Amino acid sequence: MRLLRHLQHWLTGRGPQICVGDFVPEAHPLRQWADTFPWAALVAAVDRSVAQRFPTKTTRGRAPIATRVLLALELLKHELSCSDEQICSRLRTDLAVMYACGITEVQVERVQGHFVLPEVLAQFRGRLDEVLMEELLSLQATAALEAGLVSPAHLVVDTFPSEQGSQRVNDAATLYKAKKKSSRSSRTSLPRARRRPRR
Amino acid sequence: MRRFGRQCRGHGKVFVKLVRETEQQLLEVGQQVLPLAQAAQEHLDGKTPMPREVQRRLAAQLTDAMESHQRVAKQSRRLTQGKKLAHYKIVNAYDGTIAPICKGKSNCPAQFGKKPGLIAEMASGFTFALHLPVGNPADASYVLPLVDKVQHAIAQVSDRRKPVIHSLAGDLALNDAALRATLHGRGILTVGIPRTIEPLTPSPTQAEVHHILQEAGLHRQRTPHQVHLACACGYSRPVVESFIENLLCRGAAHIRYKGHRGALVHMGMTVMAHNAATLVRIELNQLSKRAQKLRRLLGLKPSNINQYKVKKN
Repeated sequence: MRLLRHLQHWLTGRGPQICVGDFVPEAHPLRQWADTFPWAALVAAVDRSVAQRFPTKTTRGRAPIATRVLLALELLKHELSCSDEQICSRLRTDLAVMYACGITEVQVERVQGHFVLPEVLAQFRGRLDEVLMEELLSLQATAALEAGLVSPAHLVVDTFPSEQGSQRVNDAATLYKAKKKSSRSSRTSLPRARRRPRR
Repeated sequence: MRRFGRQCRGHGKVFVKLVRETEQQLLEVGQQVLPLAQAAQEHLDGKTPMPREVQRRLAAQLTDAMESHQRVAKQSRRLTQGKKLAHYKIVNAYDGTIAPICKGKSNCPAQFGKKPGLIAEMASGFTFALHLPVGNPADASYVLPLVDKVQHAIAQVSDRRKPVIHSLAGDLALNDAALRATLHGRGILTVGIPRTIEPLTPSPTQAEVHHILQEAGLHRQRTPHQVHLACACGYSRPVVESFIENLLCRGAAHIRYKGHRGALVHMGMTVMAHNAATLVRIELNQLSKRAQKLRRLLGLKPSNINQYKVKKN
């Protein structure tokens, strides 16, 4: 089974329900920031590109995590200067981050550790390519032009140097850790299953 | 200069011999792999029962792998032709697209990295497009791909009256005669690109405006008012460059993801996050006085509600 389907975590619980949109104030910076994106067009572009390059042969298994959530997490990562783990952790507890990810309602569940695993985010990032990134940027620019907020009449071109920064926890390490974690959990769950009496 | 190990563990040194030895090892391995790759490509082109999409993807990956070997080989030959070793001609086998950046640093050796190019609105710093080429080409080569991307975004606008690019500003590195001619051909003024180190004229006289329009051959396309704005934008360019600072604050100075594709994803996401923050600032009218004035001249700023006086009666 593919990792994207395997690591699905549901936004369901047994506790009270919170309406995220009602909770996050309208003047909250993250709410205002998230409201500027043309989400429908961006998500459609990502879905189209991924479906073309990585066609799914079967519809079996759990439904994948919504593209809207993963795309917003990737953008939020750069806005808030977070690592994969930090942003995934904030998604679990921060209602403004939930709003930015398009989660409208959430069912409280104390036991649940996370909504999205960092490994899933790393895998989603692996599917983004040059053409898609250009399209996403173009869609954002088109939306801003249509809204009349910006004008391309007088433009400035500039370059800047950008170093290859060190990546302490890279995607490969994250995926390696995920595999190790899953094998460890399966090893611990086996004796428990054996101990359980048969009915 | 490429360093080995972390800088916090003392001063890094470049071991040229070690680099050359590693290079030789890589080339030896590559020599064995190359015939296999060519055979695989022939097999792929032959009658293999495979969907066309998969075939295309595999062929692209294979070509990319073969090109990376050729790149290492080419750079290696440059090193071993008896020429004096330039300190930036070092092969990086892990990221073939990485290049020495000789810009931005004057007091230390050239560093390896990438040089993204941006095209942004003068007033607010909203970035319309990003260009991240392989290596470190001349700045003038960035302009046309960036302008093409902006025109693509404009073409997607559903309004009947589509916006047009009037002028382009840049630094002295963009001063290229061929580039100016191409931009004039597209109806874009280039008065914002300086020819010398002397500052541009912020408010040209009527005769100067006439000369600018005549030189560009845009008498019928651009108005004197647009020339005045273009000159003002070119003059103010160093002041409104803060959008690069904004990007650097969002982590654009250090690319965290691996390879060329990783760099593109990193830069693209950073630019999109920055654009969203810029749009919020525009909506809340949290721009500098200069930016507000320019937006008012461009007809983008709504009327000032504080100045609206209701009749007291």
